[in-house]
Amino acid sequence: MKRDGINKWIKPVALVGLIIILAILPLLFSSPYLLHVLILTFIYTVGAVSFRTITISGQFPLAHAAFMGIGAYTAAMASRYLSWPPWVTIPMGAIAAGIIGIVFGYPFARLRTLYYAMGSLFFGMAITYIVQSLKITGGYVGLTKIQPLFSSVSRVPYYYFFLVLALFCTVALYRFEFSRIGTNLKAIAQSYQLASSVGIDEARYRILVVAVGCFFVGLVGAAFAHYTPIVTPSTFDLSATLWLAMYVLIGGINSFAGPIIGTPILYFIPQYYFSNLRAYSPFIPAVILIIIAYLMPKGLAGLIFMLNSRYLDRLWFRMNGKGATHATENQ
Amino acid sequence: MLLKISDLTKQFGGLTAVNKFDMQVNQGEIVGLIGPNGAGKSTIYNLITGVYPPNRGRVIFNGKDITRMKPHRVAGLGIGRTFQLNPLFPDFTVLQNVSASFHLHPHSSLFDIYFNTPTYRKNESIIREQSLKILRLVGLEKVKDDLAKNLPHGFQKMLGVARALATQPKLLLLDEPLGGMNPSEIEFSLNSIEKMRQQGTTIMIVEHNMQILDLCDRVIVISFGQKIYEGLPQEVRENKEVISAYFGGEHA
Repeated sequence: MKRDGINKWIKPVALVGLIIILAILPLLFSSPYLLHVLILTFIYTVGAVSFRTITISGQFPLAHAAFMGIGAYTAAMASRYLSWPPWVTIPMGAIAAGIIGIVFGYPFARLRTLYYAMGSLFFGMAITYIVQSLKITGGYVGLTKIQPLFSSVSRVPYYYFFLVLALFCTVALYRFEFSRIGTNLKAIAQSYQLASSVGIDEARYRILVVAVGCFFVGLVGAAFAHYTPIVTPSTFDLSATLWLAMYVLIGGINSFAGPIIGTPILYFIPQYYFSNLRAYSPFIPAVILIIIAYLMPKGLAGLIFMLNSRYLDRLWFRMNGKGATHATENQ
Repeated sequence: MLLKISDLTKQFGGLTAVNKFDMQVNQGEIVGLIGPNGAGKSTIYNLITGVYPPNRGRVIFNGKDITRMKPHRVAGLGIGRTFQLNPLFPDFTVLQNVSASFHLHPHSSLFDIYFNTPTYRKNESIIREQSLKILRLVGLEKVKDDLAKNLPHGFQKMLGVARALATQPKLLLLDEPLGGMNPSEIEFSLNSIEKMRQQGTTIMIVEHNMQILDLCDRVIVISFGQKIYEGLPQEVRENKEVISAYFGGEHA
């Protein structure tokens, strides 16, 4: 009984611990490069979490980074041409991504599984080409002279801003998934015929989840535009989407924690420690993915939960000196 | 009259799956729809619930034309159904299967759900209570926390029925509720179906198994998409055309 008590507390304690560490990190390490990579990690984590939110409805959104780009370019253009302040352009970017998500969701609501994946893939590529060919978006070169979020050159305020933003988005998406809305989406993913036979409007929910996912990725995209000195189309192209998909798959697509674990491992570690090996970087996730598919079908999140409950069992055994039942066997 | 189908026709390419089919279901009845494999029984269900649009004909439910209406709207008007294949959400627990099916009554708005308002919390507690009541009715209360995909076949079928009941249908369409069941499961299911009728649900049953006849007030037999017989269950067994449809021409 007490054993369950420990297990119940481990997740919240780990979470609070992680937040505290992230909160005091800039006080301990002031390397601008470290903070820069961490800021990008926060942005991509939200990208991966919102990517996974769309997948709970059974869709695989291969235009996701393009929606981050829609948010970024909307904010960048409003800032550069209209000189609107960031607190207007950032929500605007998010709303623009959400609305285009709805517009794109309508014709695509009839496509399921692989057809949806391919349809969204080409939609994302089309957005990249449009951005590359228009003058107003700066073409291949991209847009510069976007008003920065903070006047200081230090990365510390940006770090805290993006930390809070990432926490906000993650909590919002968590609440979305673990409400009846998420249940309905999971029901649609398991059997759309069954879901509509109990009165769930499949098309409406599938459009809703795309809109919500696009809104949050657009939000971080728009904030990113006010951080980076230049917004370029290649940041949001197909390969960027595929990286997000990789973070989700390697972290574990069936677990909310999956992308939150996968993104730092696949983005932060290679970027910060092995940045001289960047040319080989596409091989790394391919190799990891193969290993994971063989050894841990539930992804890294599944592995961590498994180890955690084994370790706790041993600890409990030592503390009590008698056999503890294996919690994982009952699952 | 709860359901009235007239002149219903569905063609798949050159094949006429359902041909000029007429029938009606009255309030409080159990109507059996039987016929050999491929006779068009499941197609009729799919036409009623809007999975496919018919080529011709009309479906009137409760005085309202529901021909070509989308499946979720049909469900909203009060037609619940089970499916022969995929009767349940495999990755949900038994209880989740039923409570997820309580989408319509009580219904919470997206705003209520997301912001966890008192309305939503009240609805969810009603749903939980009602779900447990339905699980008791179909005898699945003991396995409520098991994953649906791990249930034995007979239980899965009953869970399909429980799910359909959660939509609180005026008319319940059962698609082969006895398929693949053993004799004791069949007896249990027949009892449960009888209990649902006593609680005021009108039921239509598609079935191969002739045991279902004892339960029906009226039976319609179809073959190759056409109605070949309609009448009392006692008479069906003796009807020559029905026997010939089931066993082939030489028996007629």
